[in-house]
Amino acid sequence: MSSSVLTAEAAVAMKTDPRAGKYLTFGLGKEEFAIQVLRVREIMGVQEITAVPQTPDYVKGVINLRGKVIPVVDLRLKFGMPELEYTQRTCIVVVQIEQEGSKMLTGVVVDEVSEVVTLQGADIEDTPDFGRGVATPYLLGMAKVKGRVKILLDINMVMTTQEIHGLAEALA
Amino acid sequence: MSTQEQTPGADPLHLNELASDPELLSDFVVEAREHLSAVELHLLALDQDPKNHEALNAIFRGFHTIKGLAGFLGLPAVQEVAHEVETVLDLARTGGLTVTPKHIDVILASKDHLNEWMSELQELLTNGKTPKPPGSQELLASIHELSANNVETAPAGDAAAARDAAAADPVADPAADPVATALSSLSAATAAQEPASGVESRSGESRSIKVDTQKLDFLVDMVGEMVIAQSLVKHDPDLAITGKPRLTRNLAQLARITGEVQRTAMAMRMIPIRQLFHKMTRLVRDLSRKTGKQIELDLIGEDTELDRNIVEELADPVMHMVRNSVDHGIETAEERARAGKSRTARVLLKAAHQAGHILLQISDDGRGLSTEKILKKARERGLVAEGAQLSDNDIFNLIFAPGFSTAEQVTSVSGRGVGMDVVKKQILKLRGKIEIQSVAGKGATFLLKVPLTLAIIDGLLASVGKEVYIVPIFAVREMFRPSGEMLSTVEQRDEMVLVRGALLPIVRLHRKFGVQPKTEVLSDSLLIVTEAAGKRFCLVVDELMGKQEVVIKSLGGSLRNIPGLAGGAILGDGRVGLILDPEGIFGMAGR
Repeated sequence: MSSSVLTAEAAVAMKTDPRAGKYLTFGLGKEEFAIQVLRVREIMGVQEITAVPQTPDYVKGVINLRGKVIPVVDLRLKFGMPELEYTQRTCIVVVQIEQEGSKMLTGVVVDEVSEVVTLQGADIEDTPDFGRGVATPYLLGMAKVKGRVKILLDINMVMTTQEIHGLAEALA
Repeated sequence: MSTQEQTPGADPLHLNELASDPELLSDFVVEAREHLSAVELHLLALDQDPKNHEALNAIFRGFHTIKGLAGFLGLPAVQEVAHEVETVLDLARTGGLTVTPKHIDVILASKDHLNEWMSELQELLTNGKTPKPPGSQELLASIHELSANNVETAPAGDAAAARDAAAADPVADPAADPVATALSSLSAATAAQEPASGVESRSGESRSIKVDTQKLDFLVDMVGEMVIAQSLVKHDPDLAITGKPRLTRNLAQLARITGEVQRTAMAMRMIPIRQLFHKMTRLVRDLSRKTGKQIELDLIGEDTELDRNIVEELADPVMHMVRNSVDHGIETAEERARAGKSRTARVLLKAAHQAGHILLQISDDGRGLSTEKILKKARERGLVAEGAQLSDNDIFNLIFAPGFSTAEQVTSVSGRGVGMDVVKKQILKLRGKIEIQSVAGKGATFLLKVPLTLAIIDGLLASVGKEVYIVPIFAVREMFRPSGEMLSTVEQRDEMVLVRGALLPIVRLHRKFGVQPKTEVLSDSLLIVTEAAGKRFCLVVDELMGKQEVVIKSLGGSLRNIPGLAGGAILGDGRVGLILDPEGIFGMAGR
């Protein structure tokens, strides 16, 4: 074993946060969220969505993505926020998620898309405990960029978890 | 990057730099697999005729090439097995050894062993999983036994010396000088290349090239999109307004060409059923050796082409039916002789096209199905009521019931009663049919009928409110707008309609799917007489929009199992239309 002693700060600085990297930020209501760019396949303006019966309300339906039929989820509804009518700024972000070992493309409806930011480990903090027993494994953490707080989402977890209604209340 | 700790010698996976080049390794796996497939074919030919020198040489070259390539890449374990088999084959080639079925068994086992290796290496390439080398001690021992046993009968001195030299070699080779070995193996490998590929082309294949299936699938997807884009252009209302004849002509030409390209792209996914048949050849041989029964397999129509996916899906059901035939249908040679039949039983596999379907026949000239045994078993299992009158055909179809099996003892090959109902399910999944014909004492025949393409169906576009649904035409019997007198209500709740003297239940699609229709008045709506799972009912829709050939696309992920929906399709205007599953709709709650 090495006998050199590292100071606490140096040790922390040497550890690279696995959450660091490029993120796509987008807005939902008053909050700004971010998801890892590696998961994003494309971004498009909202288009006509074919409704599919017998699905939860946050599953808006399916769209034609260049010959592939992919499901589309409204993130507002998924988080328990009130539904908003789609505007010109509303976008569908197509992400690649993994479920039970297979990869899938899914569309996510967001209010508007902002920009791509590069986050360093130092910018990222752990998610605070929201109290009231709200568990948030789908939140990777929070980051401060240009004075604004972005909530980092593990989009894979978001899409594969059933009920996330607690988030809206927790953030309120 | 961390480097793996490796103790040379103890670690059979001595992957040197060359092997860690994924492209080289991938090429090796593909090539080796091809050689191994060819080797198996030749082995089966050799089994039929032990004097077939062409086959023997081809098998030798196959293992020799793999040995060389494995050496080049630094895979001593693969090299060792290939080398041992090569030694035996060389002895056979030079007359120092006669090929018996035992030899074929061991060499087939070696081929299987190397196939396992290739699978492990493939795992390494696709998932980065460290390969788990299959154990080779037993195999090597049995290979040694082969050459050892025959040395006594062959001219003593030379053969014994050759064998000893050969036995000494593999131990020295991988450890001693990897570079020298690699270089010599490489030159040997390239020298062996030409003859090996010569064998490939001589086996009667038409000119063809290998294409990565991913590229092919991508091309087919792109062509599908092209057809839609072309259709959007052709039907664009702005273009219709200009009405210029030259433009119309050009668009029509474009449509024609696009159609041709699509047909060709779809045809590229078709492959001959040959590979499935060859799997059966190997299976029958192994089964015949295992059960001691004498069986000959006849194959007809191996050039019959079908969609790649269907071939894959048919493999298991067909294998199971062949197993059943051999295990339960075919008698031992003695029994057959006693019954006045030829000692060798015949199993026939025949494939043919018929009007957009593929017909597959699996016949044997064994005992046939025993209606008494089946009926007895079915009664025991409570599948048949006492005194029920069943036709022979009904009795035959009882074998498809879950948990059914008339085997006296559960053999290691089949008989656990899991088989036939799973087979039927699989065939139904392919939207196919399976029929049984049998004459007691003479034999049994299974007839499979499967549509040529899984993915395309003819659909009727029907609108309900703003939504457009696709009703598969194979389920549609007729359509009409009902008049008041035809309609009636049972118990205030179940609506019925009189169609050609029969009272059919009415299924309101808008209620099942929770959509707002244009009208709820039945006499203003369209009724589509639908038949599914033997039941007839009438679907209520607003209007008929048209007919379209559509490619069924899975809805993906959690949407896959929604009752009443078979999938989605891209409509002519680029929207997604939901394809109905008539059987599912009938069973849904919410009338």
